Amino acid sequence: MLEVKGLCKYFGGIRAVDDCTFTAEEGQITALIGPNGAGKTTAFNCVSRTMMPTRGEVWLDGRRIDRLRPHKITGMGLSRTFQISRNLADMTVLENVIAQAQVRGWRDLFRPAMSAAEIDKAMGILDFLGITRIAHEDGSNLSYGQKKLMDLAALLMSDPKIILLDEPAGGVNLSLLEEIIGHIRKLNEAGLTVLIVEHNMDLIMRLSHKVVVMAQGAIIAEGTPEEVRADPAVLDAYLGSTLDEEEAA
Amino acid sequence: MSLTTLDGTSDVLDARKTYNAALAKRADRTRATWFPLLLLALLLAFPAMQFLGNYNYAIHLILFTASYVVMASGWNILGGFAGYISLGHNVFFAIGGYFAGMIFARLGISTIILAPFAGLLCAVVGYGIGQITLKVRGPSFIISSLALVMIVRILFDHWEFVGGSGGLALPANDLPVRWAKLPYYYAFVVMAAFAVWASYKIKHSKFGLGLRALSKDEIKAESAGIDTRRYKTLAFAISAFFVGMAGAVWGEYLTYIRPNIFLIILVSVNMVLICILGGKGTVAGPVVGAILIVTFNEFFVATLGASEINILATGLVMASVLIFFPLGIVGTLAKSGRLPRILNWD
Repeated sequence: MLEVKGLCKYFGGIRAVDDCTFTAEEGQITALIGPNGAGKTTAFNCVSRTMMPTRGEVWLDGRRIDRLRPHKITGMGLSRTFQISRNLADMTVLENVIAQAQVRGWRDLFRPAMSAAEIDKAMGILDFLGITRIAHEDGSNLSYGQKKLMDLAALLMSDPKIILLDEPAGGVNLSLLEEIIGHIRKLNEAGLTVLIVEHNMDLIMRLSHKVVVMAQGAIIAEGTPEEVRADPAVLDAYLGSTLDEEEAA
Repeated sequence: MSLTTLDGTSDVLDARKTYNAALAKRADRTRATWFPLLLLALLLAFPAMQFLGNYNYAIHLILFTASYVVMASGWNILGGFAGYISLGHNVFFAIGGYFAGMIFARLGISTIILAPFAGLLCAVVGYGIGQITLKVRGPSFIISSLALVMIVRILFDHWEFVGGSGGLALPANDLPVRWAKLPYYYAFVVMAAFAVWASYKIKHSKFGLGLRALSKDEIKAESAGIDTRRYKTLAFAISAFFVGMAGAVWGEYLTYIRPNIFLIILVSVNMVLICILGGKGTVAGPVVGAILIVTFNEFFVATLGASEINILATGLVMASVLIFFPLGIVGTLAKSGRLPRILNWD
C-alpha cells in the first residue's frame, strides 16, 4: 500500500535519512523503531511531505506522492499525527476535529463550517475514543493525553486509508497507553493500515505485524517483532539495552 | 469506513442529541441578531434629521466610522481570521480610489456604482500579490507588506497620467449642502453592513474554519488536508476587495485623489489598530474598534486642539485599553464570558 523507495533527507552534511526502503502492507500495522536520532520522525515527515525529501520516491496505492503538497496527500487517504500534539488552540475539540473533514472544490468552501452530518460523525468518533465529554472544551485546556486522543479523532475525521502515528504513546500514563493500544487495534481490525513510530517497546511488540528498525538514518533490520527481537544487529543498536534492563528488573 | 456505528448504542446517540440541542439553544440565546439590524435601521433613517436642522457633522462622523468599518472588517479577514498582519492594505485603498476616481473624472460614472468593480480589481491584484508575499509569515510578512506600500507610493508619485504626487481634483456633486453627503453616507453604511455580514458568513463557513486553523498552526492545518495556500490567498483577495470598495467612494467624497491621502501609513495602521482594539478575529470587533478610534480622535481634537497632544492622548487611551483588554474589547469579554448579548455577533 505504502512504498518508500530509496528515501534520503540531508540537512546540510547530516544524513538524517539515508537511502531508506520499506513498505507498509495493506491492513497491517507496521512499526518504525530505532534509537533517538535514528531519523524515524524525519522519514515520517518526508512520507507525509511535511518535509521535502532530498531524494527518493514514495508511492501510495500505485501513485507517486512525494511531489504532491501535504493536503493532497491527506485527500488521498494518508493522514498523520504529530509527535508533539499540534492542536489548534482557541478552537473547541469538536472544531479541531471537524477542521480535518475533507473540503473539496470552491463551492464546498462557503458552506457552513459544521454541518449536522459532520457533527454527528465527529461525535461518533469522539464517542468511539471515549472523549465525548470534552467535545466542547477549548483545545488548549486539554491534558497531554486528551490531546493525543483528540489528534487521533481529528485524524479519523478525514476518512483515511492509512494512518501515520508519530509516538501515539509518548508521555502518556499506563492506563491511557492500554486505551490507545486498544483503539489502534480496533481501527486496524476495521481495515485501516497503520504506520507507527514509537519508543514504547511494549506497544510495538504487542501491536505490530512488521517492524522496521532504523539506526543513524539507515534501515538495519526488518521483520516480525520476534525476528527483530532476535536480530543481533538490532540488539546491538537498540534493543540490547532494553532487554538487559528488563532482565535485570 | 463508518466509525459512527462502531460503539454507538442508541442510548448514547439519544443523550448526544439532547446535549447538542441544549447547546444550540444556549448559543441562540447569547446571540442577538436584532441588535445589528436595529443599528443598521437607525443609521439608514438618521439622515431624516436633516429636515430638523443641520446634522452634517454627525453624518460626516458616521460616514467616516462606516468607512473604517468596511476597511477594518476587510482587513480582519486576513489579519484576524488568517493571522497575517498586513500593514500594506492602504495599497488597495489607493488602487480602488484611483481606479474609480479616474473613471469618474473622465466618464462621469459615479464611484458608488464603480465601487464593486474597484473592489474586484483589488481582489485580483490582491490575489496576485498574495501569491508572492504569503509565502512568508510573521515579521517577514509584515515587512513585505510595508515594502508593497513603498513601491506603490513611488509608482503613484511618478505616474503623470493620474496626476503624480499632486494628485487629481474630482468634480463635486451639485446637490445642496444639506443633502450633498447623503449618497456617500448611504454607500458607506451599506458597504459596512455588507462587510460585517460577509465576515459573519466567512467565519461560519468551511473557509473560515480553515483560516482559523491555519492561523494557529499552518503545518498542522496543511496536513489536516486544508489547502493553506489557496485559503490564505483567497482571504487576501477578499480583504483587498473590501478595502478597495471603501477607497473607491472615499475619493469622490473628498473630491480629491492624491498619493498622500491614500498611501500614508496612518490609513493602514488605523485598520490594524481598530481590529486590535475591538478584537481581532471577531465579527463585532472592527465595528467597536472603529467607533472607539473615531470617538477618541474627535474628542481629543476637540478638547486638546489640533496640536500633537491629541495624538498622544489618543495613543495613551488606546494603550491603556489594551492593558485591560489584551485580546481587544470584544475578544477579551467573549473569552471571560462577559460579552453583552448585543455585541455577540459571532
